Amino acid sequence: MADATFETAPARRAPGVTRLTIFAYLLVAPVLILIVALIGYPFVFAIWISFTDQVVGNAGKWIGLANFAYLSKNATFTASIWNTIVMVVVSDGLKLLIGLGLALLVNQALPGRGIFRSFLMLPWAMPGFVAFLTWRVLYQPIGGGINLILTATGLHSGVIDWLGQRSTAMPAVIVATVWRGFPFWFVSILAALQAVPKELYEAARVDGANGWQQFWTVTVPGIRQVVIVTVLLSSIWTANGFENVWLLTQGGPSDATIVFPVLAYFGMQTQRLGEAAAVSVYTLPVLIILVLIATSLMLRDEE
Amino acid sequence: MTAVSMSAAEAAQPAARLNRRVLIGRALSYAALAIAVLLVAFPIYWMIATSLKLPKEIFRQPSLAPMAPTLNNYVSLLFEKDFLTAIRNSFIVATTVTIISVLISSFAAYSMVRFRYRFRGLIGRVILFAYLTPTSLLFIPLSIVMAQLRLGNSLYGLILVYLTFSLPLATWLLQGYFRSVPRELEEQGMVDGLTRLGALLRIVLPLSAPGLAAVAIFTFTGAWNELLLALVLITSESQRTAPLALNYLITSDVLPWGPLMAGAVISSVPLMILYFIAQRFMVQGMTAGSVKG
Repeated sequence: MADATFETAPARRAPGVTRLTIFAYLLVAPVLILIVALIGYPFVFAIWISFTDQVVGNAGKWIGLANFAYLSKNATFTASIWNTIVMVVVSDGLKLLIGLGLALLVNQALPGRGIFRSFLMLPWAMPGFVAFLTWRVLYQPIGGGINLILTATGLHSGVIDWLGQRSTAMPAVIVATVWRGFPFWFVSILAALQAVPKELYEAARVDGANGWQQFWTVTVPGIRQVVIVTVLLSSIWTANGFENVWLLTQGGPSDATIVFPVLAYFGMQTQRLGEAAAVSVYTLPVLIILVLIATSLMLRDEE
Repeated sequence: MTAVSMSAAEAAQPAARLNRRVLIGRALSYAALAIAVLLVAFPIYWMIATSLKLPKEIFRQPSLAPMAPTLNNYVSLLFEKDFLTAIRNSFIVATTVTIISVLISSFAAYSMVRFRYRFRGLIGRVILFAYLTPTSLLFIPLSIVMAQLRLGNSLYGLILVYLTFSLPLATWLLQGYFRSVPRELEEQGMVDGLTRLGALLRIVLPLSAPGLAAVAIFTFTGAWNELLLALVLITSESQRTAPLALNYLITSDVLPWGPLMAGAVISSVPLMILYFIAQRFMVQGMTAGSVKG
């Protein structure tokens, strides 16, 4: 138990242990150096840029909070924050409901449940850009699959320009996002359900609990931790999602679906780097809170 | 005792009534699952069907099934629009990122799981923070840094920036796998004359093979799917990856549906193959560390 002695013995007096420590640091060094260089430094750099009037080809000068002041009066930025909130709350709410519902169904002793599980994971197995390009084609007003289905089933006849009008663009983007994202929830919750000890259900049944009561007293406490971590992670990822909006609508029509990562990208295309960086940095306080809660839960899980 | 009397009571119930309830429950479950399967299947079907249609069929006689299936879209995409280069670039980038990440992340993860040292907890936290730092925050500074390093518009630069999401993910997941390898096996190996590094290479890594496979697939998938950083860094056509090439197909006014969906199908094939080979590992890995979709 070399490591156990290391933990109790002072490092200086045991040369073998010191060598071991150096070895341990050497092993972790490449990843740590790359993370500091490729994430830590750019992270600080992004914050720095957001306080400058930097444009492409010109390092710019410190202008304090001017970018943030400008953004807070900018209608497109306000729209992007509002849209991001709607996107996160509605699509992650739907992913939770669908993921939980399907996980409960597949968790039953049903013949063929393995096939259902594999099949329902397909949207997650395909590349995100493929999923969103496919939905873009599905939403086309003429010849698109959605309108064809609606006409064929007699639900609605006529041409709906799903991505082209303000009233339907956001719901359409959310549907595509949920389609692509629900399997992650489904599989996470299913694994948590399978880890709930069967004896707990039996004990609850012995105590006379009906199905609904068993759900609230056994199932919900059993999967709560996984669901909370999934909510946090998925919210962070959904809020920072770029390709769903970019490939479906590019933020249009007239900012109806603009979200802040797309706005930051537009800012970069117009070469106003300070403003573009400020768009992302503006959301940093919320991100930091979510990340701190998520990491403390994930690290607690681990121990 | 109670359980026995309970099951006795159950058996005493009229078997037919119980059976009917179970059957109705099953029928409802299957109905709900069937709807979910249809909703999942339809877009996938539509992607494949559209990729087999000619433009005139798409617009003039829209229909649910291709009337005269053709591979023309694939041919024109691969050879006229040079999608083959994009696929090749994607393979180079994703494979290199995977190899680098799995190699150095397994060193880091092993170090953090097996040794106790100062700052170990802090390093673990830094890696987790890095994992959750979104690309939307990093793409602007990364593009400036890559331009300064003269690595903009090159696959090398792309590989380097893709490490920003693959390294923390791989390290985080591998820690979970390594933790499940019993320490006693390593100690036995070292008694038998292996060095620490030998124990890692000969004992821990082989025993974690399913984990390494899962992590490799997640890393490959992440790099294969990435769009934003590629969009920011790559400017010349010869360096485009698959998502980038398809993105530039649609920026023109007309949406070239057929070739677009052919490209979608081609881009999905490698991932679908990986997914079906390694489904079980991936589910374990995904739930072990929560992997981005």
